[in-house]
Amino acid sequence: MDWSKQIGRYVLIMLLQVLVFNQLQLWGVCHPYIYVLCLLMMPITLPLSVDMLIGAAAGFIMDIFCNSMGIHMASCILLMYARRYLLGLIVNDRERLNEQIGLHALGLEALLKYVVLLVVMHHLAVFSLAAWSLSHIGFVLLETLVSSLITIIFIIAYNALNDK
Amino acid sequence: MQNLLKILLRYSNFLVFIALEVAAFLLIGLNNAAPRSSMLSTANEVVAWQHEQISEISGYFSLRSQNEQLAAENAALRNALCAADSTQESLPLQYTTAKVVQMTTDELHNYLTINRGSKDGIVRGQGVRNSEGAVGIVRTVGRNYSIVMPLINTQTHLSCRFTKNDYIGTLQWDGKDSRFAQLADVAAHMVVNPGDTIVTSGLSPVFPEGIPVGIVENSVLKEGDSYHTICVRLHTNFKRLKYVEVVQNRHQQELEELANGLE
Repeated sequence: MDWSKQIGRYVLIMLLQVLVFNQLQLWGVCHPYIYVLCLLMMPITLPLSVDMLIGAAAGFIMDIFCNSMGIHMASCILLMYARRYLLGLIVNDRERLNEQIGLHALGLEALLKYVVLLVVMHHLAVFSLAAWSLSHIGFVLLETLVSSLITIIFIIAYNALNDK
Repeated sequence: MQNLLKILLRYSNFLVFIALEVAAFLLIGLNNAAPRSSMLSTANEVVAWQHEQISEISGYFSLRSQNEQLAAENAALRNALCAADSTQESLPLQYTTAKVVQMTTDELHNYLTINRGSKDGIVRGQGVRNSEGAVGIVRTVGRNYSIVMPLINTQTHLSCRFTKNDYIGTLQWDGKDSRFAQLADVAAHMVVNPGDTIVTSGLSPVFPEGIPVGIVENSVLKEGDSYHTICVRLHTNFKRLKYVEVVQNRHQQELEELANGLE
């Protein structure tokens, strides 16, 4: 997987995020951030610090669209940092991660663990930073649950369709 | 020294992580404290343009209700024109119509972006209303677009008064339902009935006096409380907001300078 493909996918996913998923105002608790797909599926070839910089940039761009300066940035940096360690824990064969992270490289069980844990962590971080107080904790948890579910389904479906 | 370098190298990833997170949190803090840069928000030309295109398309689906709202407003204006006292001193107010190009209603910190900016004379701190009632306060101004903090943002505070006895309270929002806001600082000795009308107080230069805000839905006074817990049904339907008016008070600058001089 070369980087032009990664960037192309990022642009397409961001368009989908901004034009479709950001327009969803259903139920008041549904804000799926599907753009994390690009960060989650990025191959592990670069040093971790560069990965985190890429995460910071992607979060920053999302912040501009969401009027939430810094919130997505902080969450994406955390996502990129946690992702490296999580992959180390659930994948034995490091060689496979150099091409593409996905169903083929990880297998269904590891992929599910990887996506669910990181998406929930990212969404929880975004919503708690936006709420910035414990008084809305019930709302934040519900929002995380509903939104993560949709993001996870989207990412798993994307992987299933791309599986060759 | 060499050991220190070794440690720094060993934990370099963690240090980069901490540094980046600190930068992100500084951004969050800055954003909460001061007006955000118009470049890095939905007042940004490109981002706002994108939102405008979307609202352009979705606008067709609400033409009917928009028309009804405009017709109702026309009628109300005609009535007001008839009733207006010709001897009344002219108010230093000017209204600028703006279109809402982007809006959220189901977050805690909701914002709306309007297609008027500094070139139309919009200034931070001006009030925004529509035909139904008060909408919010201008927070960030770009050249062509501005961001408004609506009443349904947990950070918004608006001074309001009861029409029946001019008692003052502060309108806030609890982040739950975009149809209702809460009125604080109303002392227990006040008698509050459902149906009481709440309007802007005119105590700040943001809004002139008497712009409709809402009506009291219910009020609770618990044993031992010194303030009422009042739930206000807002006149403005934020879910269907398409057009708003920015209230430009020609004396606003003077009023603010006076207030600043006192501090």
